[in-house]
Amino acid sequence: MSYTLNMTGFGDYVRTARATRAETDVRFSLRQVAQRIAVEPAYLSKIERGLVAPPSEATIIRLATDLGEDPDVLLALAGKVGSDLQAIILRRPKQFAELIRQLKNAPDHALLKVVREVRDGKW
Amino acid sequence: MITLEANSLIFRFPKVHDNAKSAIQFQRTLRIPDDGKHYPLPPGLGAFPLRHVEDFADRVPEQWHERAGVMMPLYQAEAMWIAFRGAGWWWSSRYPFAIKIAAGKINAVSGKPWKPELDGSERDYIVLPEQPWLDGFCVAKDVIRQFVAMPLGSGYSVEEQITGKPEHGGLQIIVYPMRRERYEALERRRERVLAKRQLFAAPARARAMGLAAGGRMTQQIYADPHGLDAWDQSVSSRCFVSLVDAVQWREITGEAPPTRPPTAADYTKAGLPWFDYYAADLETLGGAQALALVKSVAEMAEAKGEQVLGADGEVNPDTIIHLGPGKLLRSKGRPVREGKL
Repeated sequence: MSYTLNMTGFGDYVRTARATRAETDVRFSLRQVAQRIAVEPAYLSKIERGLVAPPSEATIIRLATDLGEDPDVLLALAGKVGSDLQAIILRRPKQFAELIRQLKNAPDHALLKVVREVRDGKW
Repeated sequence: MITLEANSLIFRFPKVHDNAKSAIQFQRTLRIPDDGKHYPLPPGLGAFPLRHVEDFADRVPEQWHERAGVMMPLYQAEAMWIAFRGAGWWWSSRYPFAIKIAAGKINAVSGKPWKPELDGSERDYIVLPEQPWLDGFCVAKDVIRQFVAMPLGSGYSVEEQITGKPEHGGLQIIVYPMRRERYEALERRRERVLAKRQLFAAPARARAMGLAAGGRMTQQIYADPHGLDAWDQSVSSRCFVSLVDAVQWREITGEAPPTRPPTAADYTKAGLPWFDYYAADLETLGGAQALALVKSVAEMAEAKGEQVLGADGEVNPDTIIHLGPGKLLRSKGRPVREGKL
């Protein structure tokens, strides 16, 4: 699955995710979500409309958690890489840069093949 | 395939369907009093840490290495519940799965010895997404006895009481996805409705834990609403979850185990909520006779003249939050409280 990266893309995605939940649960109104993630409703509104740059990593993670969305996807849509991922890449930058380039066009099922599986044994 | 991500077991069946993925988390919780009363559902206090057993092969028994899978730390007499998906998880697939859960290779729903295949006549599996959580052994209709960890070999575990042997311990899980065509038909119906994971010199003698039966709790175990032919038994993913005495967790992994959870009495006195989940339109399973005959930890301790549980104190849950299909809080699920309590 790929995602388009731009400011409006982030805002559109957040607005759609929040509004969809708000249709069946009043706790996902703009005001209530803003209150839970500790930002002003007007600021969240501007984010959703792409009028301001996406918020900080910490705010994006709170927003993703509140909406039940993947934090990595929201960070990517905001043009950011999570600090945990940055730390991982910085430990072995050459190897990870090469790995990512090698995998850039691989289909999702091929990416899953490089993921470590939980080994099953005899029981 | 199964991966370990953020202390969750992620089950994926990409060859069946891109949406065929689900997650299992093991939640720390209060141990409810074992006093004959029926309690509502206790809270989630955060996920137990999970680690690949093979990463600590030099510090766990050889048998654990052969079983592979993952391991997690529990204190003696600590309780847990199993979450099949929950609030704050970044995806919450509605792809249906049939899941068999066993403790010490005794099925937690039927009380029968472990067998991997689904057998509709035994009604020995749970179905997702209908079943959001499993807190214990199904001992009677709408009544479970809480999962409580006790040292394997002490005679308390359900496995030892039913088989007479402390052989396996831990938890065993096998997951079957719904057949692709049945899922797609189900989705079409839904859409219509919607239109409207260092080395030490000495290997640790890791003490294995088994799950015993704790206090009584009201929890519905829902029957399969789709029928046995809905499940694709040509594919499955299974995992052995070894339970480690939490006091040995640091020796094995080098990491601190979670803190001990608060008592149910302290939690309740603090005015914190308990939970109830009820889906009125779903059939629920009756309890397993084999499990109903199992002695609880308190009953076994009394019979053995041992003191293994601390005083429970008086617990009267006043604040109960009702969850379930049609309830306001349904989209957030059973709240999980992270951090120290």
